[in-house]
Amino acid sequence: MRDKAWIVCYLMAIFVLLTACTDSGATQPPAASGGNQEASGSGKMTDVGTPRSETLIVDILSGRSPDPDRMNPYMPGAVAMDSGLHQLIYASMWEIDTVKGEQIPDLAATMPEPLDDTNTKFRFKIQEGLAWSDGVEFTADDVQYTADMLLKTKEIGYSGYFSSLVKSMKAVDKTTIEVETVQPETRLAQKLGVVIWGTSFRVMPKHIWEKEDPTQFKFTDPVGVGPYKLSKRDPQGNWFLYEKREDWQKSDVGKLVGEPGPRYVLFKYFGPEEKRIVAAIQHDMDILQDITPESWEVLRQKNEYAKAWYENFPYADMNDPCERGMSFNASKAPYDNEDVRWALTLLTDIKNVSMATFGGMLRVSPIILPPISVLQETYHKPMKDWLKEFQLSDGYKPFEDTYAKDMVDMLKQQGIKGLPTDSAEMENTFGVGWFKYDPEEATKLLEKAGFKKEGDKWLLPDGSPWKLTINAPANFEVQSMRLAFAVADSWRKNGIDVNVQQMDAATFWDSESTGNFEVGSYWPACGLLPDSTANLQGWNKEYIVPNGQQAPGNRNRWANDRVSGLLEGLNAMEPSDPKVIADITEINKEMVKGMPFIPMFGTSKFVPVDTYYWQGFQNAENEFEGPWWWWSQFKFYTPNYKPSGN
Amino acid sequence: MKNWNFRLKAGVAILALFLILGMIFPFFYTGNPIEWGTYPKNLKPSADHWFGTTNLGQDTFWLLAKSLQNSFVIGLLVAFFATVIGALLGLIAGFKGGFIDRLITLMTDSFIVIPSLPILILLGTMLKGRASLLYIAVVLIVFNWPWPARQLRAMALSLRERDFINTAVFSGSGTFKIIVKEIFPFVAGWSLANFVNTILVAIGSESGLAVIGMSSNEKATLGTMIYWANQHQAMLAGRWWWIGSPVIAIALIFIALFLTMTGYQQYSALRRGK
Amino acid sequence: MDFYKFLLSRILTFILVVFIGITAVFFVPRFLPSDPVEAMIGQMTSKSAFLDPKAVETLRETLNESFGLQGSVLSQYLGFFKRVLLTQDFGPSLANYPAPVNELIGRALPWTMGLLLTSTVISWLIGNAIGLLAGFRKEKPYSKALEAISIALYPIPYYIFALVLIMLFSYIFPVFPLTATFQGAGFTWEHIRSLIINSTLPALSMILVGTGWWVISMKTISSGIAEEDYVHFARLKGVKERKIMSRYVLPNAALPQVTMLALQLGAIFNGALVTEILFGYPGVGTLIYNSILQADYNLIMGTITLSIIAVAGATFVVDFLYPFLDPRVRYK
Repeated sequence: MRDKAWIVCYLMAIFVLLTACTDSGATQPPAASGGNQEASGSGKMTDVGTPRSETLIVDILSGRSPDPDRMNPYMPGAVAMDSGLHQLIYASMWEIDTVKGEQIPDLAATMPEPLDDTNTKFRFKIQEGLAWSDGVEFTADDVQYTADMLLKTKEIGYSGYFSSLVKSMKAVDKTTIEVETVQPETRLAQKLGVVIWGTSFRVMPKHIWEKEDPTQFKFTDPVGVGPYKLSKRDPQGNWFLYEKREDWQKSDVGKLVGEPGPRYVLFKYFGPEEKRIVAAIQHDMDILQDITPESWEVLRQKNEYAKAWYENFPYADMNDPCERGMSFNASKAPYDNEDVRWALTLLTDIKNVSMATFGGMLRVSPIILPPISVLQETYHKPMKDWLKEFQLSDGYKPFEDTYAKDMVDMLKQQGIKGLPTDSAEMENTFGVGWFKYDPEEATKLLEKAGFKKEGDKWLLPDGSPWKLTINAPANFEVQSMRLAFAVADSWRKNGIDVNVQQMDAATFWDSESTGNFEVGSYWPACGLLPDSTANLQGWNKEYIVPNGQQAPGNRNRWANDRVSGLLEGLNAMEPSDPKVIADITEINKEMVKGMPFIPMFGTSKFVPVDTYYWQGFQNAENEFEGPWWWWSQFKFYTPNYKPSGN
Repeated sequence: MKNWNFRLKAGVAILALFLILGMIFPFFYTGNPIEWGTYPKNLKPSADHWFGTTNLGQDTFWLLAKSLQNSFVIGLLVAFFATVIGALLGLIAGFKGGFIDRLITLMTDSFIVIPSLPILILLGTMLKGRASLLYIAVVLIVFNWPWPARQLRAMALSLRERDFINTAVFSGSGTFKIIVKEIFPFVAGWSLANFVNTILVAIGSESGLAVIGMSSNEKATLGTMIYWANQHQAMLAGRWWWIGSPVIAIALIFIALFLTMTGYQQYSALRRGK
Repeated sequence: MDFYKFLLSRILTFILVVFIGITAVFFVPRFLPSDPVEAMIGQMTSKSAFLDPKAVETLRETLNESFGLQGSVLSQYLGFFKRVLLTQDFGPSLANYPAPVNELIGRALPWTMGLLLTSTVISWLIGNAIGLLAGFRKEKPYSKALEAISIALYPIPYYIFALVLIMLFSYIFPVFPLTATFQGAGFTWEHIRSLIINSTLPALSMILVGTGWWVISMKTISSGIAEEDYVHFARLKGVKERKIMSRYVLPNAALPQVTMLALQLGAIFNGALVTEILFGYPGVGTLIYNSILQADYNLIMGTITLSIIAVAGATFVVDFLYPFLDPRVRYK
């Protein structure tokens, strides 16, 4: 009898364990004291000993730092720059305004102006009246020192590229810099300043660095021109506490924007996603980095103060500068045939793929540039007429512009509220349209390429079964990983034996660069500025190397003379030249024709905030910037954030 | 059957239930249970969907049945071969001594000292995702036989000095015969425990492999089920039927095996009249 | 004489095993279709940081040179042995360049040792005690209850089990902190207190799941011994049950368990990956895991060599101690 009793007990225990945790959120008081201690006086304290109401807590995207004492940004072993270092301390010459799609001055006061028509000599001014966080004045000498140091120290990884770009950088006086470049340059500010995420060219304080060996220096007490200084760190590398500078007026943000709101900013790694969500539910984290849509659902239901980009569906921010899709190795048969690549495009049931990947919270893109607002206006919408008329070699018109409307209908049926109603807004949210799901046309294309269908399975031209492997990131990039599985599901339903191979980061990237893939969930499709010349550079055929060798660019090994020619022409043009947009549009058309990469969706970022302690965060209604918490422009957001009074 | 104790009965009953669920039920399902979007998402358990549906639009019950099938196959294969290979090599080494002992010990020790994770990732990458379940089983066997081998060698060392073994040796029995007839009965209990444990280890390692991308996450196993449920935050979102079914299944299978094992020991002790 | 021969042969095996292990671990990652430089570039790509193809090219050259990866694999192999044998220096970590591998391990090891030594030994003691009771005193209700609990916890996948513990004790009943924040340093009360608070849950999770196996193996062994003739004689002679258990059954049953314990203690140097990730606890497990993900050859070699030596050392000690524990076994 006892035996029976313990089995029953056990079953009940397991049931309780599993269900207890799931139904708990509702009963959770809003200000649960999680890992915090009550202060002796009034308000709540964080576990690093600062008043919670004065501390903004931000998730760290890159995880734990193995060696939290290393902050020398020129060494790979440094604490990840997005653990708060480049967001709050280090500054660069030019920053980016992603809403307008143009660069703005940061440490530099002006953009580089050419001194003659060789495009090799430039001059720019730097900001006056700024100081390093240790009080020493910031001058042009610091910029020159940093440049000289990079040119001189060959052991620094960035040095090679910097020396191929810059011949010399001289301080003419305290606020003026003159640059001489190795080659004629038309886009110096893009190459030295921030376009996406950050830049490697971070100016270091001469008065500290000149006494040290830059390859060995740890820079344990980092000093920068940004508005914060490092106050405390976790010896285990899980968190970094930053405090507002007393002389914040002399920081870049202080001078250019105003006083940062939070007195303290705590960058902290909370561990796996489950724990990060729990922390956000308990109001122990104000800004979350990437989470999955499912986690967002949970957070939204259990914390009414949690806000994502849009107030309603699709919630996510979709202006991330990279788009996801299926990348082909165009040097491997049968994927060297554009009919095969197009057949696979038409076998992709894009609406179901969207549902399976992120529950429909995705914006489609039919071209190689990401569907972010700025680029949609510059390329996607103007190209719509061309796309509609575009024909495959047999005269078939693959494009249809009904995606947005169909998605809205489909989602409405599932009972989702708050969807956009007018067609312009639908298009802005869900994209301009995509290619038809048309297995019949795909069959024609495949049969033309010599494929045969036996029963419901496809055979390769040589008669063997068509097996296809999609390389996918293991867990480090959720959208691309899920996309691979969803696309595989769609292709498999059409008789192709598809297999998804999940790979850890090193193997995944190495396979791309050595061409060790057939189809991969890679994303060689990024862009932010309307002048996306720099991002498209990699498609030049000069970078193609044989499979097995590491390619610096053009990892799809897709050779197209017209694209290569256009790219070289673009390099010589000034960014302001109106022909730039026209030529990039032409490149986009060539890419649609050749389809070396099936563009699918922009990246949907779930990067929510908790408005319980802080307010003033950017969102779709208050879009002074995008929610790029891991970018160096973070410091420019801080003046907008104000305590909520809780 | 009539002398069976409660443990044996309960264990065999639960085990039979799962075997039927895993080995027979999948044949009654015409579709492909792992295909996405077959049913509406996230339905709670009902008459139509006994265990509800997943966030990927699969029926949890049929998915579980298919997963049980695959996991059973892996678990049993690994447990059987790892235990048999380990037991044979370990007993031979312990009993024979000398050069053979040294050679086998060197082999087992070398396998034991190399941590398996890097090797597993390597093998996974070389196979480029076409990892069949059989292949995964073979890899797991490779990493699971040295433990019982070492353990049983130690036991054999001790048994070798006993009188009845000496008697057997002097009476001229062959080595293999002695090992199987005289020594094995003494280590059978431990081997059985190891067998049961290895089933669990195999099912557990498979789910670990699934996470690092070496198992094929498109194949239904208990491990990949947990993997997908975790990926979609089933626990936090309160989808207990999804995350719960594979976890409870693993636990119950193990308990059933354990009950059967201990029950059988009691039963046979009773029969021997002790 | 026998003893010295035995000692010599064991030392030789030890060296051979370590050598084979290290060699395997040296070559295996180099057959991986990945390399540290590409991993680093990939990481930047993941964050969508823009990289000019030219920048990729120069970065690769510079890093290959500073990482010492240009020579043939064989010369790297010889270089590795020379450096490690002469200076015990594993060189710089590649992913965390130029942080020395020795320093990174030195940081992580004390945490791993502290957590795993405690939890392994405690679960061994508890598990064997319960197993002995369950095997020898089958009929007592308390031994049944204890057995049931530990067997029931054992098969739950550890990741899930630990997560449930976290949800229970850091979320629903917030007894323990959600993330580990260690206060103070050195032998201060503040430091020790925060160590205890932050380590309880991870240790508890490992102990609860860890006991199961010891219970099962101890139970099978001891119930086998309980049927041996000498136990029956002892009983007939009127020796007390408690004495039979401690004098007759325990010493014989403990032997294999000691072997396994020693091996487990050696394996401590592999760290506890899932525990470290879930509880945000520092340790060697994450170090090894990340070094593999980033193809950080030097760090892989450093961490795994340590683990190989530890496990091989443990097996060596076990073989050596065996005859002391079991007088029936001679050195052979």
